[in-house]
Amino acid sequence: MSGTILENLSGKKLTILVSFLLFCQLICFLIGGLLAPVPSNVQTIIGTICKDRPGSHNDTSIWLYSRGGKKCEVLDHNEIREDSLRMANKLVFVFQMPLPRGGQNLDYSRWQQNLIGILQADIAYDPKVYNNPQSEITLDLRLAYRNKGDPDDEWKYYASSLEKRDLTCEVDNATDKYLYQCDTIPVFEMGSLHHDFYLLNVRIPVDSDQQMNLNIGYIQDLNLATIYQNGGFTKVWVSLKTTFFPFIVAIMIWFWHRVHMLQRKPVLLEYMLIYLGAALTFLNLPLEYLTLFVEMKFMLLLSDVRQGIFYAMLCSFWLVFAGEHMLIQESGEKNSLKIYWRHLMAVVIGCISLFLFDICERGVQLRNPFYSIWVSRFGSRIAMTFIVLGAISAAIYFLFLCYMVWKVFNNISIKRSILPSMSKMRRLHYEGIIYRFKFLMLATLLCALLTVIGFILGQVTDSQWHWNDNVELEFSSAFFTGVYGMWNIYIFALIILYAPSHKKWPANETQENIMGEEIEFNNLPSDTNPSEISSLTQFARKTALD
Amino acid sequence: MAGCRETAFIYAITSAAVTHSIARACSEGSIESCTCDWSHQNEPPQASKSESVSDVRQWEWGGCSDNIVFGYKLAREFVDTGERGRTLREKMNLHNNEAGRVHVQAEMREECKCHGMSGSCSVKTCWMRLPNFRVIGDSLKDRFDGASRVQVSNSLRNNNENQITRSNRRNKNIATNSNNVRETNSVHRNGANHKKQNRYKFSLRPFIPDHKPPTAKDLVYFEQSPGFCEKNLRLGILGTHGRQCNDTSIGVDGCDLMCCGRGYRTQEVTVVERCACTFHWCCEVKCKTCRTKKTIHTCL
Repeated sequence: MSGTILENLSGKKLTILVSFLLFCQLICFLIGGLLAPVPSNVQTIIGTICKDRPGSHNDTSIWLYSRGGKKCEVLDHNEIREDSLRMANKLVFVFQMPLPRGGQNLDYSRWQQNLIGILQADIAYDPKVYNNPQSEITLDLRLAYRNKGDPDDEWKYYASSLEKRDLTCEVDNATDKYLYQCDTIPVFEMGSLHHDFYLLNVRIPVDSDQQMNLNIGYIQDLNLATIYQNGGFTKVWVSLKTTFFPFIVAIMIWFWHRVHMLQRKPVLLEYMLIYLGAALTFLNLPLEYLTLFVEMKFMLLLSDVRQGIFYAMLCSFWLVFAGEHMLIQESGEKNSLKIYWRHLMAVVIGCISLFLFDICERGVQLRNPFYSIWVSRFGSRIAMTFIVLGAISAAIYFLFLCYMVWKVFNNISIKRSILPSMSKMRRLHYEGIIYRFKFLMLATLLCALLTVIGFILGQVTDSQWHWNDNVELEFSSAFFTGVYGMWNIYIFALIILYAPSHKKWPANETQENIMGEEIEFNNLPSDTNPSEISSLTQFARKTALD
Repeated sequence: MAGCRETAFIYAITSAAVTHSIARACSEGSIESCTCDWSHQNEPPQASKSESVSDVRQWEWGGCSDNIVFGYKLAREFVDTGERGRTLREKMNLHNNEAGRVHVQAEMREECKCHGMSGSCSVKTCWMRLPNFRVIGDSLKDRFDGASRVQVSNSLRNNNENQITRSNRRNKNIATNSNNVRETNSVHRNGANHKKQNRYKFSLRPFIPDHKPPTAKDLVYFEQSPGFCEKNLRLGILGTHGRQCNDTSIGVDGCDLMCCGRGYRTQEVTVVERCACTFHWCCEVKCKTCRTKKTIHTCL
């Protein structure tokens, strides 16, 4: 009979292993903090105001751009003010991304992964004009792209849409020439940055029949903030994934091989560990390399889904783990996930609602990058429903988990009191179970605590930390790589330590102090008895007989 | 021009305007030579080719720093040329120029966007938004009203310049801490030219020793302003005869102060004004016309 590697490992070896893993954890943290730049950066662009070309109303092949040959006719603010004709439908705000720097045209690198655009309007204050602080603005948005080597005027259509957005502006102690302080308006989210240059044309069409854009005030300028993931961060991140990937795969193969050497079918916890490893492997799979060659607009959605699957798996694992360590067994049957369906409902409902929300937001953005579920009242109500549902199931899950852990601890203290009266072998088994459970509790709490502390620190402190004059630590990047490394190491350790041990339990009770001695695990499949990962079934039955 | 308050204001607002315009032009893309990472900029000039290569590399790796940093740097080189900081007057000019630039930065507002998993705030990116110039003008006017009169002191302030320059590499305000004149002077890390760098290393003592020393945001002067009441073409002063004043104000626009005790004339006029306007984008204002009676005071 045997338990898991964890309880058969000597204290010394366990210490070495744990400190090695902690060292790896520190390395992950430092890689993010010292090597990587901030995860994402911003470029703010003030729109160039160009005179529209006739016929652009329905023709999406007309592109206006502000730099390069055949650039558009730029209008001055004074020109617009003094023009006796209404220029309302003649103005185009042109944003050519990225901005040139150091005398040359920069281009987006595919390492920069994604691009998010946020508009902000500078609306002039006029004491004689009453402006509704909450109005609606309709924007005619068109995106085009161009690649290096293309002629300056060869912009190709990417997406276009007529979008309505809420415009909330306020002004305090204003006099002439002040601007309204307007809230930001999200405009687009692109999951891939496949091309070199992008161009955004914004028109603010006026239509008195539809009451479109009639009372929004005089828009002096439009500012676009473009957020992109930093190439350096992507490189560090993907290298981290590439490093973890083979390790986790290898340890899963080793684990499965070891389970199959036993002459029994794998138990539920072993299945759960393998599922967890698989979810992590899916998360680790460095698909980002493909974006360097193929346009993958669904990367934002996919990364959400990958993270979602992983966290769902982790939550289910904790539930099942607590359930399997109850130290009581109703029936002699092999446990399966079916028993836990009630417990896992919370996880499933939470995940499905968040997945639906993501499909509604980022899924639709695959078709229309300008779409946002939050802009329409109906959409934001649906989004809130999904999120509230997710939050409720998270709360239920948490309560349930706490209840189960509390129950396990109750059972442990009951078992503790009768431990001395048990036979040696049974005592060893119970001690093993208790030890295993406490070890995981400790490790999990530590990981969760570190994540929460890191998150809070990241929110309240400045993103850069200084140790001294020469060393600076990029905290936000360090947090991401640190947490990512932590969960990898956590699962790596779980798979190793909770793999079935092939060490023989004392065959009879005369053999003593086997736990006290230094025990090494060996790979010999010498055990002919059907051994159990937690030996629960047999011993529960024995308890019943006793 | 004399070293008076008004001069201080002119220097500060000019320097602020240059900083603001350059930063704005960088954002518009109309100046193509704005640098990506300003910290590489102080390498020897012959390395201009490798500099542009390092710009591209910097852009790919960690993105570009905020435009204000370039605006600040260029404004320093442009506006401060010729001020060697030897005489008190030159020190005053340097300080006021710097104060103008600091105000541009201090008025910048932070905007943030969450874009983590499913749009949650697990990843948050913030940036600084360039203020409207009118706001900068207002805050400089406040400092004009409370400008400090100074005299020179010999002690140098030694600050750790490197530390500040590095902390400013991100989009943060360069000058959020206004308590120290030198701290905000350190944007320019010019390793090659020590003379240029050292000209910002001075400290000014308040004329009345009990007063606090001027901060980076304060305007400084060392001479009393000339009288602006009477016409003096040699100093370019037009006098206040015939100026409109406000009889209820106790400030400089009030009739008591502005008319320099000469008294004022009061008239009642009927004005036809536009009122209750609505604005139609873009760019038509529809208004009603209203008749109002107004009382106008003019200085004798």
